[in-house]
Amino acid sequence: MQSVSEKLIPKDFGYAGRFFAMASPCECLVESTERKIANRVMHLVSHEAWRIEKKYSRYLSDSVTQKINQSNGAAVSVDEETQSLLNFSDQCFQMSDGLFDITSGVLRRIWTFKPDAAFPTSEQVKELLPLVDWKKVNFSGSTITLPKNMEIDLGGIGKEYAVDRAASILQKEFPELSVVINFGGDLRITSAPKSRKSWVIGVESYLPGVKRGIDLTVGAVCTSGDTERFIMHEGNRFSHILNPKTGYPVAGAPKTVTVIADNCTQAGLLATLASLQGSDAEAFLQKQGVKYFCQR
Amino acid sequence: MQLNERKSATYNRVRNNNVAGVLAAATAILVGPSVKAEGDFWDFSKDWRFDSAVLYYGEQDRVSALEGVFSATREVDVKDVFNFKVVLDSLTGASPSGAIVQPGEQTFTRPSGNGQYIVSAEEIPLDDTFRDTRLQLNAQWTKAAWGESTGSYGIHFSKEYDYLSLAFNGSLAWDFNKKNSTFSVGLSIANDTFEPVGKIPDPFSSMVIDFGQFPTEDDYRAAFNATRIDSSDDKQTTDLLLGWTQVINRSTIMQFNYSYSNVSGYLNDPFKIISTVDGGGIATDHLFESRPDKRTKHSFFWQTKHHFDESIADVSIRYMTDNWDISSQTIDYRHYFWVGNNSYIEPQMRWYQQSAAEFYRPYLIDGETLPEYASADIRLGEFSAYTLGLKYGWKTSAGNDMSVRFSYYKQTPEDTLSSHPGVLNNLEIYPELDAFFVQYSYSF
Repeated sequence: MQSVSEKLIPKDFGYAGRFFAMASPCECLVESTERKIANRVMHLVSHEAWRIEKKYSRYLSDSVTQKINQSNGAAVSVDEETQSLLNFSDQCFQMSDGLFDITSGVLRRIWTFKPDAAFPTSEQVKELLPLVDWKKVNFSGSTITLPKNMEIDLGGIGKEYAVDRAASILQKEFPELSVVINFGGDLRITSAPKSRKSWVIGVESYLPGVKRGIDLTVGAVCTSGDTERFIMHEGNRFSHILNPKTGYPVAGAPKTVTVIADNCTQAGLLATLASLQGSDAEAFLQKQGVKYFCQR
Repeated sequence: MQLNERKSATYNRVRNNNVAGVLAAATAILVGPSVKAEGDFWDFSKDWRFDSAVLYYGEQDRVSALEGVFSATREVDVKDVFNFKVVLDSLTGASPSGAIVQPGEQTFTRPSGNGQYIVSAEEIPLDDTFRDTRLQLNAQWTKAAWGESTGSYGIHFSKEYDYLSLAFNGSLAWDFNKKNSTFSVGLSIANDTFEPVGKIPDPFSSMVIDFGQFPTEDDYRAAFNATRIDSSDDKQTTDLLLGWTQVINRSTIMQFNYSYSNVSGYLNDPFKIISTVDGGGIATDHLFESRPDKRTKHSFFWQTKHHFDESIADVSIRYMTDNWDISSQTIDYRHYFWVGNNSYIEPQMRWYQQSAAEFYRPYLIDGETLPEYASADIRLGEFSAYTLGLKYGWKTSAGNDMSVRFSYYKQTPEDTLSSHPGVLNNLEIYPELDAFFVQYSYSF
């Protein structure tokens, strides 16, 4: 059984605690000088993260995701939480005209995002593309039927969903407590802090001398893309964001897109959809009326 | 593989203009209600940023300088910045006095009139009394002005032992074309006052040198004082700058500047002299230099920065012309490479070439009618120079920026005369210059 390290780090605002989940370092900043409260927060947040990871990880053979992916064309009945996640994915697919598609994970078989990785041939892409289309999935509400060889992957929203779930658990038990829940850079503040006007969050910048920060009282911040993962082809740089309609990475996308929104799932999707707009990322975010920061 | 712009454009488009609204409703069902986000980027209102640097500058056998810079910036917003900077430098060493090199030893009077210095045979005469400490203070405010414009204004104070400079500047910048273009206008006014040790020499008066011809110290003093006119003098500088910055595309930015500068008042260097030589090339006298009391400059500057995937190229060209007949060209190229592990290197190459001022003369001929103006200051002569530099910067474990820059500078004078009187033909009469810079910077 995994457990939170007893080591809480005392800070001027209270305590900070760390754990590891979803392939990312996770951290909570708790605005309380009571060690007992901070420990309880760490316990609730980490166990929710591990619960969701265990349930939906595509690397764990007994996960819901794997059960669906290995159904070999048969109908799989799903529980309430999975239904709401699939419902949400369906709404995102509709709203984005197919740019957000949880069946696009199969494309990872041919795409590796390292500067010197091989660029797949058009035959390879053509071969896989028929396996990417949420419209081919029969989702009735309580059962899902996946055509043979197709896969779903909730990785595109899993981390953000976990942050928001953890936040709503904390809001029930400690409605007045301000906690920054940060899962590998996707973060949410549960309630406005008391000891200060806002939390100051640093934004990673790859340009030396450029320092960006966020002053956040309450809300969420997510970043899409990173400066390390990309592929070069014929002198062009392609981000690791794949367009499920073409099977190719998006050209002209910002290196990173950071968005502020009310919750993490919202911020994460807006950042992902903006990256998919390529050179129109900023225009897209402008239209949505959200606060953002793109690094080109 | 067909991945052209048009195809990706149609495949990328999200037609729904209210994605954020739909998402808010959908996420409320998925993860429950959330409070409206409250926050923004770029608000470091409580934070100051500090930059510090130490520069060592050393010329071979001549001036060396040590400079410390400390700067504090409070950046509330992109359009609300306050910067305060203190620069302290200390210079020691020798610089060319302007006097001509000779086949034998030469004796000169120090600028203060107290004491002498000896220059060996075939050596460029250097005045070795160059020693000073300079303190500079700068304060600059940048604020949003009316409309889409940004205003900036500042004051500058600089003090050396014998020199005081005060300056004011103001500028306005307008963004338009979706912030892809910026037009700026700036004005700067400065007043400099000189109060050299030994007072200000009368232009073209002879340097009084005590070879034992004065019966008493008072007689020498009287002769020295006769060459002095004022204890202090000043000059005024007005600079006007017009700038245009253009974003060409998402990885290229270009800048054009034009500047006009008008300087009037005391423009001589009170320590510089020019020798008169006879037909055999032997120095007969050393006169204090005489420059016009007005100078107007026009300068044109173009810079382009291009952002490649893992590097940034930075090229700039400057052309300057003035009413002293000096024109100069500068080409500067820097290339910024990320080398991983939060570090970068930036090599630099710079080339500079200038033509001489119309009154620049390496020496005057004894007996010729004195021209209206004359100076043997090599900085007004024809020369070319290049700089080679390398900078290495990295991020510390605490997330602060550090860098070290090394540069080498070489200045080569150009002889525009085909022959010289007598012995001067066999001597190196123009001073060359080799210098090294080492700079260490730390931002926190």
